[in-house]
Amino acid sequence: MAIIEEEPQLLELESGEPSAPVPRDLGVFARPKSTTGWRSWIFTVDHKKIGIMYGVVAMFWFFWGGVEALLVRSQLASPNGEILSAAAYNQAFTMHGTTMVFLVIMPLAAAFANYMVPLQIGARDVAFPRLNALGLWIFVFAGIFLNLSWFTGGGADCGWFCYSPNSGLAYSSGSGVDYYALGLQIAGIASLVGAINLIVTILNMRAPGMDLRIMPIFTWMVLVTQFLLLFAIPVITVALFLLTFDRSFDANFFNVDQGADPLLWQHLFWIFGHPEVYILILPSFGIVSETLPVFSRKPLFGYSFVVFSGIGIGFMGWGVWAHHMFASGLGPVSVAAFSATTMFIAVPTGVKILNWIATMWGGKLRFTVPMMFSISLVSMFTIGGLSGVMHSVAAADTQQTDTYFIVAHFHYVLFGGALMGLFAGMYYWWPKAFGHHLGTGLGKTHFWLVLIGFNMSFGPMHILGLQGQARRTYRYDENLGLDFWNMVATIGAFVILIGMLVFAYNIFRSAKQYKSGEIPRAEADPWDGRTLEWAIPSPAPEHNFDYVPVVTELDDFWHKKYQEDEDGKVVKIADGNDIAQKGDQHPHLPSPSYWPVVLAFGFPLVALGVIYNLAISAVGLIVIIGAIYGWTLEPPTDPDDGHDHEGHEDSGDGTDAGDASTDTEEEEAANV
Amino acid sequence: MRHSTVSTSPDQESGALSTSSNTRSRHSMRRTGRLTLLVLAGALLVSCADAKSDTLQPKSELARDIHFLTKFSGWLAAIIGLLVGAAVVFLIFKFRERKHDDGSLPKQVHGHTKAEVGWTIAPAVLLAVLAVVSIPTIFDLVDQPEGAIEIRVEGQQWWWQYSYDLDGDGHYEIVTANDIVFPAGQDINLEITSNDVIHSFWVPELNGKKDAVPGRVHEWRIQADEPGEYWGVCTEYCGLSHADMRIRAVALSDGDWNAWVASQQVAATVPGQSFLPGSEEEDVREGYELFQLHCASCHIVNGVFEAAAENPVPLLAGVAPNLTHLMSRTSFAGAIFDLYNEDGSLNEADLTAWIRDAPSQKPLDPDNQQGMLSFVDSLNDEDVQDLVAYLSTLGDRTPTSS
Repeated sequence: MAIIEEEPQLLELESGEPSAPVPRDLGVFARPKSTTGWRSWIFTVDHKKIGIMYGVVAMFWFFWGGVEALLVRSQLASPNGEILSAAAYNQAFTMHGTTMVFLVIMPLAAAFANYMVPLQIGARDVAFPRLNALGLWIFVFAGIFLNLSWFTGGGADCGWFCYSPNSGLAYSSGSGVDYYALGLQIAGIASLVGAINLIVTILNMRAPGMDLRIMPIFTWMVLVTQFLLLFAIPVITVALFLLTFDRSFDANFFNVDQGADPLLWQHLFWIFGHPEVYILILPSFGIVSETLPVFSRKPLFGYSFVVFSGIGIGFMGWGVWAHHMFASGLGPVSVAAFSATTMFIAVPTGVKILNWIATMWGGKLRFTVPMMFSISLVSMFTIGGLSGVMHSVAAADTQQTDTYFIVAHFHYVLFGGALMGLFAGMYYWWPKAFGHHLGTGLGKTHFWLVLIGFNMSFGPMHILGLQGQARRTYRYDENLGLDFWNMVATIGAFVILIGMLVFAYNIFRSAKQYKSGEIPRAEADPWDGRTLEWAIPSPAPEHNFDYVPVVTELDDFWHKKYQEDEDGKVVKIADGNDIAQKGDQHPHLPSPSYWPVVLAFGFPLVALGVIYNLAISAVGLIVIIGAIYGWTLEPPTDPDDGHDHEGHEDSGDGTDAGDASTDTEEEEAANV
Repeated sequence: MRHSTVSTSPDQESGALSTSSNTRSRHSMRRTGRLTLLVLAGALLVSCADAKSDTLQPKSELARDIHFLTKFSGWLAAIIGLLVGAAVVFLIFKFRERKHDDGSLPKQVHGHTKAEVGWTIAPAVLLAVLAVVSIPTIFDLVDQPEGAIEIRVEGQQWWWQYSYDLDGDGHYEIVTANDIVFPAGQDINLEITSNDVIHSFWVPELNGKKDAVPGRVHEWRIQADEPGEYWGVCTEYCGLSHADMRIRAVALSDGDWNAWVASQQVAATVPGQSFLPGSEEEDVREGYELFQLHCASCHIVNGVFEAAAENPVPLLAGVAPNLTHLMSRTSFAGAIFDLYNEDGSLNEADLTAWIRDAPSQKPLDPDNQQGMLSFVDSLNDEDVQDLVAYLSTLGDRTPTSS
């Protein structure tokens, strides 16, 4: 890797030298100042607040996607269900999948990446704080836009994969598919913005001494994920543009009468869609690769194997997309080739699972709630991975594809894998983000209800699929012998619901107890952690680090607490809470900004105009262009900002966080 | 032969699984999740006997080949899964931090390159075996033997049409819907395509599925060991009534097949004028005239109503079911209704309801030219009875469909 650690001073202006005078007559170009209240959230550029907002918004959509799932399961509880009409059912399953993938798991991963990556690499913020806010707000508006369709004639009814030509205007004449195509387009911009920001942050802003070989594993998996996003999102962007042009501007990309081949859409969608699967799962792999060592009290077994298998998955993930298309009429040679590549992508995944088991092996396991979720990821994901190997047998897949066997498979991967990992992350990092733990008793209740409900709901779907129950069907015949397991699956879904309600209550109750002083403020290092986020107080102070830590080895913070004595025995030399930073410094930080949220608001306007009237798009464009001007003309920082006590201003070009981290170079030297 | 040896084991194995899980469950609540899994895994292996489109009950050579691979890969997956699961359960109990732990660290192991290389290579070898065993079947499934009977399969929203070119002259002598009829015990070559969106043709007991893609013709093959009825369903999401686009595969003995082929090629005739008021003949004649008025712009009856073959049909798919031999079928309306009751009489209740108001019987969108219109406003009860009387003269019941 040709990434060289740069001395951050290079960005710093000479102390005492004022930057260009800022015109104050246009108040609109001043920067917002609120540090409390709703304004401090809407206009923030703090990666931690942004991370929390990603999480809150994602959890709202999680609730909504869950409602859609429960509607689907209620309908299927018994044969010929009559709770939903066929049209409503088709919208419910389409929007359930779209919501859970794009509005829940991806942003939850973004929440952790935003919050934790700067902390893990010892940075004060991400590389481009305002772009970070822009990504959040584009995502927020994308979610609202997608779901606006419920009020304008119904959600998309084409499945989350939205195959052409069924997605064409002739076959789906409502506006649901337009909202789908444009909404995902907008969400894609958010992902790209976030990906570029995180890649630059991870490559350029690591603490001195932290080279890529000793970078925390979660940060590594986030880095791989962001590269996947960077290359996968453009593919879906192209596909969605083609679809929008077909529907709104009479293009013929998917018009079979004009010679189009509908398989074009499938290829584009799955060239995006398969890397997307790894985009969803790799952040969770990163999370459990952090939690399992901490709660096993052992280092991650084979750090470099885990890193390289993650990178390997990232590369191989591009060569397996056609396994979603084994029945769609590819020639047998292509099918055989993709069958083989699909089998072999199981190798790096298997390596990870065995490394996790080896990490726990011989340890002293502490069954905290995050540990329980982490272990359930290891076991549930294994089941999903193994049924995935069954699908890779292309001939057998002709019996499995588009049945409930597939539904079972990807829920074991995405719920049993990705979501379990994300819950592990929530319980693990909650004290760092909010200053207090989530209740352990309620947490364990949550865990068991979800684990049991999950297996009740999705385990039987393996059987149903092999017995011939097709996917995406709003009813099934009573003569097919499918009644019993469908009922079990539906009951399981409601058990999950109860579990999630317990989780919501846990959040509510522990926050209330924390406020009233019933539960104490969490310590800086409550779990005996290994990475830098535990070297600062809980909750993380606004400026993250009083001084930038200097890193010398993997799990640097842990090695500050434990060292070998003369006999070669590893002994504790310091308590994490004692050596953690105090969070009492007030270094200069990037100022909040109005423009990210304004700029983001332009995108749904442009999209609405494409559906209804291009005049609205023109308004949206004006908003976007105006916001870009406002963004560039914005003063680098608020002149009244009390923090610029050292008399210099940051450059305002988005690298202000990197700049900020240099303020205390001297203190850092003094402290280390 | 390989199939029979493998298929005997599941029941014994699943029995063994549930016993071992019983003894384990006494220890701790924590095993509940795992126990559930084991029970489910056991149940997975004991297939349900009454399912009518069960991939685990193959009824043809092709389906058995696939079933063998499903079992092979399934057992491979199950064994690895159980080993991993056992390892996880073991370490949960073996390596938990004890109550009065001295707080010292366990041995700090950072990795073991040989072990890691080993568990990279081992799965690769296993998967290579799986690839070698399974890939040849991919080529078998699309292989089309020469001289086999060929059926053109066309999907459209939301029913299937089957056309037979018996003499190979490019003209389809038989065009039928819902029921794909063929002789048992031989290979049937299929040419699968679509007239609108993408569908997928699947009769689980006879073979895997193959998508029907507009503008493309996909080759596929089915067989049935024995005469009988096999059920299937469209398995590529195709819009509103996707769930109601079903398939009946009717395999006939050679004799029945020959009789069926002969009878299907007989064109219908115009019913004679009746002068007896209230007679059955009069109802049929009335129905015939109503058909001309309301139905003939979409539906073909060979030799009588052929306007739909010449003029554009007002449907996105451009075609509606050919009704020449309606009564020879087992089902109607995309195979969601039986055409005959269990006692052998015509299922007049559903047929009447369907003709009167199809969109209330099955989700359709006639305003967007997707599916049959409602005739609630244009046909009274007596009209519908007359139409049923006429339809019941179209074709004879196929012998094995009883």
